[in-house]
This record gives sequence, structure tokens and C-alpha cells, in this order.
Amino acid sequence: MILTGLLLGTVLGFVFQRGRFCVTGAFRDLFTLRSTRWLTAFMVIVAVQSIGVFVLDALGVINLTSGDFPWLGAVLGGFIFGFAIVLAGGCATGTYYRAGEGLVGSWLALIFYIVGAATFRFGPLATSTDAVRSIALPEDSIYQALGVNPWILVTLLVAGVGFVVARHLRRERKVRRASLPATKTGIAHVLFERPWHPFISAAIIGVIATAAWPLSWATGRESGLGITGPSANIGVFLATGDLALVDWGVMLVLGLLIGSFIAAAGSGEFKIRVPDARTSVRSIFGGILMGWGAAWAGGCTIGNAMVNTATFGFQGWISLLFMIIGTGVATRLFITNHRRDGAAARPVLTSAGK
Amino acid sequence: MAKHVLETVGQVCPFPLVEAKRAIAEIPVGDELVIDFDCTQATDSLPQWAAENGYPVTEFVKRGAAEWSITVQRA
Repeated sequence: MILTGLLLGTVLGFVFQRGRFCVTGAFRDLFTLRSTRWLTAFMVIVAVQSIGVFVLDALGVINLTSGDFPWLGAVLGGFIFGFAIVLAGGCATGTYYRAGEGLVGSWLALIFYIVGAATFRFGPLATSTDAVRSIALPEDSIYQALGVNPWILVTLLVAGVGFVVARHLRRERKVRRASLPATKTGIAHVLFERPWHPFISAAIIGVIATAAWPLSWATGRESGLGITGPSANIGVFLATGDLALVDWGVMLVLGLLIGSFIAAAGSGEFKIRVPDARTSVRSIFGGILMGWGAAWAGGCTIGNAMVNTATFGFQGWISLLFMIIGTGVATRLFITNHRRDGAAARPVLTSAGK
Repeated sequence: MAKHVLETVGQVCPFPLVEAKRAIAEIPVGDELVIDFDCTQATDSLPQWAAENGYPVTEFVKRGAAEWSITVQRA
């Protein structure tokens, strides 16, 4: 039943859009604002999913296995991917859900991400991916390598994330945040208007990411959420018509577009937004580099940084680290130095005498 | 007390916030900065930035489909 992928993807796209959940923003805020608010939310997803996945594994619903650790791919690919998402203005998931909000720049990034991922996974440059990923250490699982029970790591992760969450919540209580006036009531207000707290959105995404495992597993795709593999499949499917490529993951990413469109349209936030020349060029190059980086790293911010981290793979944690470094470098180059004509405040002219 | 406008419609995130941080530094204390934007994520990041910096938000409205305006006073 690959249609469960479409359904799950739709719910996920909805939550990402309403929650304004942006992993690129989470990494970027570390450098532009020195803020860990969104990165903490991101780690809530990892922690919730980590509990869920190891429960499912203990129950025998899924069976976690680990392979080798292609460290060079995780380092280089992670860096390239982290750099690319700043140019593209969103990671793989961010690009899918912004495409559903009507951002033409994200359509460009998405198309070129699919091209890049297909080129580096199945196309003429797949040999480079194989070469880089053949340089590997024998064990990817952190708990296997350490020879400890995975629940020790789960407990440490949950405790660490819980501590940081509590600190953020304490700080938050001291500030008063402005919000938009409500125009809807009841469930419509909650679903289509009210801002969602990042940690609430994160907990929901963590549950969805957990549910992805058994649903995907049931169709023969033995993994959790993933974006790059399915995106590469779409590229190759469009070129070859090979229906075998249209799997649960492809349904999942198509669902992201549908879900975010429903969320944006329902809340009056859908609008076709055409980017300027600079943003267009950045989106295109960002998209290609994202496909390249994710192929070498073996996953994007979702497959590696959010899912492989939850199962305690070295690949996930090392590529997460290098994605953040890549984001930091690109932020220095393209965000901190940002200049635009007309980017200054101009005084509002009031009538004479006032 | 005067009003100043920063037009960022068409700018993707995080640029509305990046530009707002610079713009507010250039207006006198007590003046208001009206930031028009159409990047969804800024509905979170701009009020969060104002709150954390102790800048009062004097107006925050949705002007139309995916278009918002927030007025922040330099404090």
C-alpha cells in the first residue's frame, strides 16, 4: 500500500507549512541570530523518533540493521548539502513545502534538486558517488561500535534535549510576543491560523516520522522518512517510465506538496511568488548542489540528520555536523553580506505641520 | 515620532529579518519601522526578534494572500 505514503506525506507537508518548520533556518539561525530555538525543535523530532523507532524495533515491527560507515561521503556530502540549502533557501523538505506555498524559486530549486539527485545517484556521476562512498569504516551503528545498549543512548539524547527544551521554555516565559489578530474560531483557528509552537510541531513531526517506519516497511521499503532517494526516483521515472521506481517514498514527497498546498490555501498563504534574478540563479545552483551533496552523504537533512541520527548511525551525526558547518560558511558568504537596493527604511511622508 | 517603511515583499527568508535588523539600527529611538513582507516564515521570526529585543509591536496585520505587515518601535 504505497498510498499510505501519500497520506503520511500530506499530513507532514501540512504540519511543516503550518509550523513554519525550516531545517535550513534552524541551522542558519545559529550563525545569524546565535539562536538555538529552532535547532532545539529539530532535536525534539530526533529524540521523539528515537524513542519510537527503538520501541518498534523491540516489538519486532521493524528490524534495525546497520552497514558500514562511508565517512568521506558523510563529511563532503554533508558540507556540500549544508552549503546548498542556504542558496536554495530551504532544505529538501523545505523546498517541497515552499513549492506548495507557491514560491517559484522553490519550484526551480526542486526541479534542479531532482536533476542533481538523479545525476549523482543513477546518472553519469553515480560513479563519483560510488567512489566516495566506498571509503568507509566497517561499523555505522554508534551503539554497536561502543558495545552498549541502544537505550542508554536514547536516554542520554532524551535527557539532553529535554534539558535544553526546558531552558528555552523558561526564557520564553519572560518575553511577550505579538501575534496576528484572530479572524477564525475553533478548529479552523487552530489548524489554519494560530501559530504553532516549534516544540509542538516538532513532537508531531517526531510521531509522523516514527509512523513512517512501519508504513514504509509494509511496502518493502525498509526505512523511515527519506526525501533524496524518492526525488532521484522521480527524475529517473520521468525519463524512463519505469513504474518500479514509484514507491512509498515517491508518494511521500508528492504528499508533501499536496499537504503544504492545502495548509497554505486554507490559511490564505498561497500566492505565486516569482523571485528576482539573483534568487532564481541561487535556487538553481542550490538545487543542483543539494542533489549532489545528499547523494554523496547518503541522505539530506531528513534521511541523515533527522532519521539516521534517531537510529544512532555515525553517518547521520557526522553529516549533521558537516551540514551545519556548510550552512555556516554559506551564511557568511550570502546572508551576512547581503546587500540590496531599496533595503533601507524610507520615512513615511506626513502632511506638513505635523 | 516618525514612521519608516521597509518594503521586503519578494524577499525570501531570512532576508526580511536581516534587513529589518539593519533598518531599525538606522532610525531614531521611539520611531516606528513598518516592515511589509511575504515570506511565511517571517510571521514567526519577526515577532520573535521584536520580543527578544524588547521592541514593542504596535501593529501586526495580514494584508492579503501571503502578505503581512508588522510595525516595530525602536526602543
